[in-house]
Parts: sequence; structure tokens; C-alpha cells
Amino acid sequence: MGRAVSGVNGGPGSVTGLADRSIGQLGRWLFTPMPVSRVATLRLLVFAFVIVDVVLLHTSGWYHGYADPVWYEPLVMGKVLHLPAATVLLVQALKWGCVLAALAAMTGRAPRLLGWTVAIGWVWYQYIAFSYGKVDHDRADFVVALALLPTVGLAHLSDQRRSEAAGFALRAVQLSAIATYFLSSWAKVRFGGWDWVNSATMVRAVVRRGSPMAQWLLEVPWTLHWFQWVLMGAELTSPVIFVLSEKWRRRVVGGWFVFHAMTYAAITIAFWPHLVMMLAFLPLERYAAWLRSRLVRLRGGDDGGEGGGAGDAAASPDSRVFEGSATP
Amino acid sequence: MDRLGRVAKTWRIAVLLALTVMFCAGSLVGNDHWWPFSPWRMFSTSQAATGSVWSTGIEVQTADAPGEWVRAPLTPENVGLNRAEVEGRITQIEADPSRLGTLARSHAELRPTAAEWTALRVVRRLIVVVDRKPTGEVRTEVLAQWDAR
Repeated sequence: MGRAVSGVNGGPGSVTGLADRSIGQLGRWLFTPMPVSRVATLRLLVFAFVIVDVVLLHTSGWYHGYADPVWYEPLVMGKVLHLPAATVLLVQALKWGCVLAALAAMTGRAPRLLGWTVAIGWVWYQYIAFSYGKVDHDRADFVVALALLPTVGLAHLSDQRRSEAAGFALRAVQLSAIATYFLSSWAKVRFGGWDWVNSATMVRAVVRRGSPMAQWLLEVPWTLHWFQWVLMGAELTSPVIFVLSEKWRRRVVGGWFVFHAMTYAAITIAFWPHLVMMLAFLPLERYAAWLRSRLVRLRGGDDGGEGGGAGDAAASPDSRVFEGSATP
Repeated sequence: MDRLGRVAKTWRIAVLLALTVMFCAGSLVGNDHWWPFSPWRMFSTSQAATGSVWSTGIEVQTADAPGEWVRAPLTPENVGLNRAEVEGRITQIEADPSRLGTLARSHAELRPTAAEWTALRVVRRLIVVVDRKPTGEVRTEVLAQWDAR
């Protein structure tokens, strides 16, 4: 007993020592310094997505302005915050308010104020979409991106610093994106039972909303059955992405994008905001720098052929900085 | 490299922990009403390999062709609600079919140039599936009906 107690409290091999080290490692992992320019690029994509989303992709909230309030079914959030049923005026204000706030946020100015304004507007607009009897289950992780990316503060696309704040925000986005996969496998077990993998859920999805491209899948039923096993396996093992090398991490992200493209082709469902979240795993600032150098080169080419060199010159310092800044 | 102070790290960890607890609680015991902390249950229900897949739709009569039922899109663009939202309220609709009149009103607002709907009914189509394959047999039943008159 006495020995056990001393083992808990003392020495490097003790339980507390181990716990301290694990917490320390977890803390270092959560706050791994990452490029501030990556956050700037991701924020730009997130805000651009918000505009496309409220105007084109997810418009059911807007139409709820026209639905009779008899169909309004407040969610917990609406009951707590006393949110009213939708009206045409309210949905118009939220839709165009989101667009204006996102455009302003894309300038990079007042990142917290504008970022959180976009977050409130977008969440409220989603709330209106979901409080008429149908919740889209793929749109929760994006709330984390909207809430936490502004915490980094000012971040420019050419910002060459690495920061712990950027690391934390990106890590939180990555974690919630992967939680979407992992916890959706749990939901399948909770609502569908372990036998979900052997059920005809995908057949049902294709029957109800299959694209013409997907009809042949019904003729070869084992394909959809097999797909359910692969999906469950992929979702359950999705957290493995955090221990993979950079190269394999990118491949896994690519694999998930292929999966989402296949799903879209088959049943015209895409988890759009979640796809933006998955970009947090990629070295976005390098792609942005590459794109900038191409643009400079293109513009230089128009100016009379000297631009190739100018483009390279513009691109290479960036590349060097980003590649070389792994060590602080 | 920019480092964070103790306070900045502490509140960030607290936020992350709170989010983790909420998302996990939502997945373990929550329901759709918990959004954004509702369970991630896309395509999570089990469908028997042999049975029927049901799909709900609406049929309407217009002022132009009274007495003739035609299928109408059950979409937000057309009636302000989508199919899943109507499917989720079948019990309430059956108890009070006059609710369907609100869909006709929304349609008139959203599509002011289209012919007015004078009657509307909710129809459920049961598509028979045997061993994961649709047999081609479809059964149709009328769940509720509303009449403007």
C-alpha cells in the first residue's frame, strides 16, 4: 500500500510523472506552431464558402421564410435563445448579412469582430433551415471553424510567422472534421445497430435519391453492401490520420475527397462545409504561394516575356520560407 | 515564432474540452434538437434487406384542371418545405389535414404565376425490395388530403 502511494506521487516512472508527461505532450501537440499564412488562407476559403453556401448551396433556410409558422419546431438552441419562427424579412436579412460580413471578413481586417459576426449569422441561418423538422447532420463541425479561426487574430496571406494560436485553431478544425467521421460511425451503431453494415441502407439511399449514374448499383447489390463495410471501417479508423506522416496524411485526405465525390455522383449529397474543414490538413499556404507565383508569371508574360523570372523570384522566397520554417 | 501565454492556453483548452464534451454527449444521448451538438447520424438507420422503401410525395389539383391529380415537387422552392420535413410530420398532418393548406399558400407566394392549387394530398409510395433489389412493384397510399372548398 505504502509503496503504491509513493509510486503514484514520486519518481520519473510514477503515475503522476507519466500523467504529467502525457499532458505535456498533448499540450505541445495541440499548440504545435503552424504557419499563420495557413490560417489566413483557410479563413479566406471558409468565408468564400459561406457566401457560396448561403446564396447557392444551402437555401432551405431562405425558403422557410415562406413556410407557415405552424411548421416551426424550435430546437434547444432556439428555446434557450428565444429565436422566433422565420419570416421573409428575417431570412433576407440573415442571408445578405452573411454575404456582407463574409466579404468584409475576407479583407482580413478586424478578424475577431467580423469572423464572429459571420459565425453568428451563418449559425442562425442554419438554425432556421433545421428548425422545420429536418436537421442536416453534416454541418456541425463548420461551427468550430467559424468560432475558432478568428481567435488567431490578424493573419496575412504572406505572413511568414508560425504561431501556437494558429496551430491550436488548425488542430481544433482538424479534430472536429475527424470527429464527424468517427462519431458518425458511432451514430450508425447507436441508431442502426452493429448490423448496420449488413443492412440495405445504401440501397434505400439510391432508391430514394439515386442519380441515373447510380442505378446500375441496384442491379449489383453486393457493391452497396460492400461499400457499407468499407465506410464503417474508414470512419472507425479515421483518427489514425493524426499519427500518419505528412505524405500519407495528404493521401488520406485525398481518399476522403474521392469518397465524397463518389457519394455525390451516386446520391447527389455532398457534405460541403465538412469538405472545407478537411482542407485544414493541407499546406494551403504553399498552394497559395504557388498560385500567386503562377499569376505573377502570367501577368509578367503579358508584359513582354520578362515575367517568368519575376514570377520565380516572387515565388521562391515564399517557398523557402514555408519549407524552411519548420524549425523555429 | 509567436507563443501563447498561460491564460491564452488555458481558455483555449477549456473551450476545446467543452466542445468535446458537448459533441460526445450529443452522440451518446442527444438527438437532432441538440444541433449543432446533435448526433452525426447521416444514413445511420438500418434498412431490412427485404422489405419496402417508402418515399413521400404530394399530388395537387389546380384551378386549371379541377378533379385531376398531378404530382408536384415537394421542394423548398415549391412549397417552402422539403420532403424530409413533411415526412417527419405525417402524424400531425394526419391528425389535422388542414395544415396542407399552408403548403398551397406558400406555393402561391413562391410561384405567383403558377396555377392556384385547389386541393392537395400526401401520397406515400412503397417500393418493394427483396434481397437488396427493388422488384419493380410500387404500392401507393394516400395519407391525408386537403381541399380548398
